[in-house]
Amino acid sequence: MKLIFAGILAGLMATTAAKADEMVFTSWGGTTQEAQTKSWAEPFSASSSIKVLQDGPTDYGKLKAMVDAKNVTWDVVDVEMDFAIKAAKDGLLEPIDFAVVPKDDLDPRFSNENAVGSFYYSFVLAWNKGAVSGEPASWADMFDTKKFPGKRTFYKWSAPGVIEIALLADGVPADKLYPLDLDRAFKKLDTIKSDIVWWGGGAESQQLIASGEAAFGQLWNGRVFALEKDGADVGVSWNQNLTAADVLVVPKGAKNKDAAMKFLAAATSPTGQAEFAEASGYAPINTKAKAEMRADVVKGLPDAHVDGQINLDMNYWAEHRDEIAKRWYAWQAK
Amino acid sequence: MPVQAQQGIASPRTSAGLGGLAPALILIGLFFVVPVLALLLRSVTDPVAGLQNYAALLGDGTYARVFFNTFLVAFVVTIVTVLVAFPVAWMLAIMPPALASLLFSIIILSMWTNLLTRTYAWMVLLQRTGVINRALMSVGIIDQPLPLINNLTGVTIGMVYIMLPFMILPLVGTLRAIDPMTLRAAALCGASPFAAFRRILLPLSLPGIAAGGLMVFVMSLGYFVTPALLGGTSNMMLAEMIAQMIQSLLNWGLGSAAAFILLVVTMALYALQLRLVGNSRATGAA
Repeated sequence: MKLIFAGILAGLMATTAAKADEMVFTSWGGTTQEAQTKSWAEPFSASSSIKVLQDGPTDYGKLKAMVDAKNVTWDVVDVEMDFAIKAAKDGLLEPIDFAVVPKDDLDPRFSNENAVGSFYYSFVLAWNKGAVSGEPASWADMFDTKKFPGKRTFYKWSAPGVIEIALLADGVPADKLYPLDLDRAFKKLDTIKSDIVWWGGGAESQQLIASGEAAFGQLWNGRVFALEKDGADVGVSWNQNLTAADVLVVPKGAKNKDAAMKFLAAATSPTGQAEFAEASGYAPINTKAKAEMRADVVKGLPDAHVDGQINLDMNYWAEHRDEIAKRWYAWQAK
Repeated sequence: MPVQAQQGIASPRTSAGLGGLAPALILIGLFFVVPVLALLLRSVTDPVAGLQNYAALLGDGTYARVFFNTFLVAFVVTIVTVLVAFPVAWMLAIMPPALASLLFSIIILSMWTNLLTRTYAWMVLLQRTGVINRALMSVGIIDQPLPLINNLTGVTIGMVYIMLPFMILPLVGTLRAIDPMTLRAAALCGASPFAAFRRILLPLSLPGIAAGGLMVFVMSLGYFVTPALLGGTSNMMLAEMIAQMIQSLLNWGLGSAAAFILLVVTMALYALQLRLVGNSRATGAA
């Protein structure tokens, strides 16, 4: 019966199932997926004559439904890295064929047996210069409502980032963040809870800051990059910027696995990574990519700001994802 | 089901009738009955067999609060919708038919506009830097933006707007069926306009209010988009929590159990509606 249910679900979703010389790439939509299409899918199709169909947005529930029903219509999916680690443990992912995907130049922080890096990014502190007097310089300032009044915006979902920000603001040293002290983090978050506006997706975070609806917030650096490109009057602090990564995975039982592996090789190649980074402002996960990029773009990448940079611990999150999520949503609903 | 129908033991007429119904029955079975049964089954088998999902849902303070929020929002939305819809419906009922049908089509037109678009429009109007707050601040009525969004106020405004047609339509039908002479008679007997409203109009329009009200309440219980966009995290409703369980936590057992509870409550309310106002009067009015 379970299978029937999942089968119906997957059947309804199977609108984009690809033929032999096709494959389906799924990502988060918006400017990010546009850049992925242009930098990876189009050149890949031109050189391999494998057509890449775009789908999205990424939905972990759908991914699990497909695998459970053994009717997988996505071949490569862009997911958050902590989810990838958890999903691999639950048997939802194919191993990466490193005979096809060259591994040597991939940043080892963002690749493992079942995933290769897609891009990596930093959470940075950004603000609307028209709505904030002065320059917030650290996460602690985001919790100082006297010095910096106004609404602040944070990522809505249970994911690496906000908990760490609260702990850093409360004075926890960067090297003592893990294991996360959730009680302390939520206590700190309580102090500004009524001033928080949550953003659920990247476009929303851009809109909140650009309109001044929120004076400042925790944003993905690529979204600040896009705001600056549009000429919005935003300030940004890279102090204590928090890195995390998206990775590319192949769901277990993907129908076009061979094409998928070839696609991964192209997406993680120095050129593919360089082009995507130039289009999005996110950092490449191939260590050779920067040599192919314009110097002014390289200067704006997260790895130009390693001073005070903190790596969010994806393995810790993968292991504690469920229990943190349960507390996170319970706290939010209070 | 179809086999049973064909082997029916009743009169030929009945059996032929049921045979003709087979495609419809298969459709309903396949797309409505089977999924609901699968949902129920999953809620008591995932991750292991037992009632632990229901125990977790009903025994946890957070989930209890979300259930409470769901009913609170549905209740508030229903009350406000009735209050706003009644004068509109009364106006539509007594105005010249030509003008009334024009206004009707405007109301219906709003129902045909995309839900997401309408909700985003409310975001633009209600947010701190939105049209309403800017206007009020520029004329000096307020000097701090009013909190109109990401709270119960925002959800109520957005949902009432969306629910209004579902309340107005049955109500107009009921009101039109009321003989205006009864009100004139009341006035002649010395009743004040308020007394006439309270003792004549209101009791006579109750079936329409009950039909529309229950419809609005039941629809509100399962609403997702509008509360998710206009509400805050502390007004989270059940539909949003179910989406979280399914998409983010991948806890399908718990999500199924929550969905099933919502379904049972909705069905119970529907049964109540049928009992209170009767099938024909509830739907035949509009």
